[in-house]
Amino acid sequence: MASRDASASPTVGSSDAAGAVFGALADPTRRALLTTIAARPAVTATELAVDLPITRQAVIKHLSALADAGLLDREREGREVHYSVTPAPLSDAVSWMAEVGGQWDERLAALKGQLGGR
Amino acid sequence: MTDRVERQLEIDAAPQAVWSAVTGDGWLAEEVTLELHPGGEARFRSDGVERRGWVEEARPPGRLAFWWAAGEEPATRVELTIEPRADVGCRLRIVETRPLELLDLVGTPLPGAGGRSFGPALVAA
Repeated sequence: MASRDASASPTVGSSDAAGAVFGALADPTRRALLTTIAARPAVTATELAVDLPITRQAVIKHLSALADAGLLDREREGREVHYSVTPAPLSDAVSWMAEVGGQWDERLAALKGQLGGR
Repeated sequence: MTDRVERQLEIDAAPQAVWSAVTGDGWLAEEVTLELHPGGEARFRSDGVERRGWVEEARPPGRLAFWWAAGEEPATRVELTIEPRADVGCRLRIVETRPLELLDLVGTPLPGAGGRSFGPALVAA
């Protein structure tokens, strides 16, 4: 699906791997994490938790879901695990969805503030 | 395959108020120009970056579909739907898609500026 080549693996979108990817991306926190990790390679859960209103344990849970879906690489270094975005075939689609989704989240939050969401 | 992002928001405001807010300056971009008819020009400028495209469908205050692209990026399609709710307010639904198979079809990304004439033909195809 990330491929622009029509001859390459047209069924990838319906595969289990793609299903796992979209399942992992269904959560807004995980999309935000993926975008952050893409911008700051080889980051640790502790570093990520600093900027987020959730605990380090919760961050690790989200990171595990992303890693299990093949979106993140884990590399242990001493006591910390460093996470980086996988250069997977789906990463183009994934990064597009994370970025565009993040932009709509910001617009909707602004609209909610302006008009009153619920 | 189509890459797709979907969001929705329930808002305590009338559909007309939501339509005005989402099509006016400051929401889709800092400066917004939308010719609200099929094939109409669409321009969006934020932080000095301009996106250009064209309007596919405009039915105030319920539905707007347009295409946009910045520079040489592939164009994407945005569909906004505003539905009145039974009680008060309405629901705004957004779907942005990047239809890769259409790009494969022509072998080249949909250009933002200057190429809007073959956008509608692609949609029909």
